[in-house]
Amino acid sequence: MFDGIMLGLSTVLDWNNLLYVIVGCFVGTFIGMLPGLGPITAIALMIPITYSIGADSGMILMAGVYYGAIFGGSTSSILINAPGVAGTVASSFDGYPLAKQGHAGKALAIAAYSSFIGGTIGAILLMVAAPLLAKVSLSFQSPDYVVLMFLGLTAIAAFSNKGQFLKAMMMTVFGLMLATVGIDPSSGTERFTLGQADLLDGISFLLVAMATFALAEALINVVRPEKKETKSINDSDTPQIGSTKLTKEEIKDIAPVIGRSSILGFIVGVLPGAGATIASFMAYATERNLAPKGLKEKFGKGSLRGLAAPESANNAACTGSFVPLLTLGIPGSGTTAIMLGALIAYGIQPGPMLMQENPSVFWAVIVSMYFGNIVLLILNLPLIPYFAKVLAMPKSILTIMILFFSLIGVYLVSFNTFDLFMMVGFAVVALVLRLLAFPMAPLLLGFILGDMIERNFRRSMMISDGSLSFLWERPLTLSIFVISILVLLFPLKDFISQRRADKAVLKAKQEHA
Amino acid sequence: MLNRELLGPSLFLALFTLYAIVAWQIPLLPFEEFETVTSATLPKVYAAFGIIVCLLSIGATLLKPTAAVDEDNVLEKSHVLRTTGLLILMVIYSAALEPIGFLISTSAFLLVGFFVMGERRKAILLLASIPVTVVFWFLMTQVLGIYLVSGDLWS
Repeated sequence: MFDGIMLGLSTVLDWNNLLYVIVGCFVGTFIGMLPGLGPITAIALMIPITYSIGADSGMILMAGVYYGAIFGGSTSSILINAPGVAGTVASSFDGYPLAKQGHAGKALAIAAYSSFIGGTIGAILLMVAAPLLAKVSLSFQSPDYVVLMFLGLTAIAAFSNKGQFLKAMMMTVFGLMLATVGIDPSSGTERFTLGQADLLDGISFLLVAMATFALAEALINVVRPEKKETKSINDSDTPQIGSTKLTKEEIKDIAPVIGRSSILGFIVGVLPGAGATIASFMAYATERNLAPKGLKEKFGKGSLRGLAAPESANNAACTGSFVPLLTLGIPGSGTTAIMLGALIAYGIQPGPMLMQENPSVFWAVIVSMYFGNIVLLILNLPLIPYFAKVLAMPKSILTIMILFFSLIGVYLVSFNTFDLFMMVGFAVVALVLRLLAFPMAPLLLGFILGDMIERNFRRSMMISDGSLSFLWERPLTLSIFVISILVLLFPLKDFISQRRADKAVLKAKQEHA
Repeated sequence: MLNRELLGPSLFLALFTLYAIVAWQIPLLPFEEFETVTSATLPKVYAAFGIIVCLLSIGATLLKPTAAVDEDNVLEKSHVLRTTGLLILMVIYSAALEPIGFLISTSAFLLVGFFVMGERRKAILLLASIPVTVVFWFLMTQVLGIYLVSGDLWS
């Protein structure tokens, strides 16, 4: 492990890579601060640039963008109650009231310190957990991968918003179907190409990612502008930033909260499908339950604990989500799914062999996390008042710029205008689906995992002589398969309780009438 | 009229059914005839699974005792028109990029895009389109050495 850390350090300390960490954090913070734009969009917009700078630097840049976007989301949550990222929604519960009380600087400082500690604890845990899991996963065989990917797909659907399970499953299947377009790599048969030569190579992952996230997010903000009551940074009653200093008592109060939430966040982040949003809400709820009676009532009204908990948890979860990506080659979230797609585009197959075949990528990503957290703390914190000006940028300019960068980003990779037309088509479909409240991340995950599932499924079936017995022959495969089924059945509980509640409401209404 | 909650699953049901029809028509190569897994196996599984999920979703929606109206989802006509305008603009930009080149098409795309978004200040319309395009072109072609199409009509 020591050799690995040294290798990672030597890669990251290269001037170019150090610059990419800083640029990544800045760009991520900038995009993450804009309401409606999250880390997936930020990373998707970066992909065309990363193609020209190599795998190590590209992954370092994207990792920097990821933490930056989460940090940027916290700033807009606290200052104007408009979270740019779902993972920072919980931060606005206490961050915005704190800002309204004139403690915006303090709230931002707590967010920065909590994010830094959460991210650093996460990076240490990742450094220990990833190589261990990578070693274990060397014994994984094709059947294990099939069920693991099945678990990833069911988990992201099961953990999607309440009542969205079936919608998420439809999106997953849609993603899997899109992955089957093109020439089948095993037999050479053409599938679903509709006679178009441009579809023989399949649909580009960059195109799908850009259309469903960057383009669709920009367009949804035009067709359905944010109705939520948010204040512009230029408004006269916008909270002043004020002092960023914390007292000793305050530090003493939030320190254990940050420690607990960081570990909880990391564990939740490792689980496929969970991610920063669930981690931040879980940490918030846990700390509210653990708080003494007097402090419990302050939650939602400007509690320092209520802000520190989700902030440390979401950053630790971001780091945790790299564990399945780097060790198993299975992304647990939409963001890491995009990174997986980028790695594959570089010609690198993430998974157990990554640590041996491309140790510089593996360790550089891990070590860059430390540097990313330091950059966020020492550079972004003093620059917050200036970053906050971003929130005043005219929407008309911003939306068109996103559309332009998305289109030209895809064009610069393929130099084929057919891709641009297809991208607009996908953006229309994604827009309609988003208006109908369909989640996008399962589609991307299904699309990226589709090819791997098919290859491993074929291999498993060949090994087991055409029988599905590979699902229960090995204890490991069987265990993961059983967990997947349980995860699949998990939303049934919610459905039944929701039906009971709906019936009770209806009955009460009828009786009242 | 079709309930909003039913619209999504119904559209997917139609799509998955079409996919299933094409999946069952995937030609098998001679050596695939006796294989358990062919190029059509997983597409058929996906289609069947997708159709089942759609039917479950439609069933669950029909069984819902109350249908709540989500007022947040009502779209304003002006917003829909603006979005449609942007989509048309993207299609025109995609079609014009190679014939008239990056510099002219991108400047026009940005300028018209800002206008569609409601920007009417001439200074912003011009400064945020032409200089941005030229700087981007310079960075790509002169600094990073990436080729940007100069226009088939002029070359």
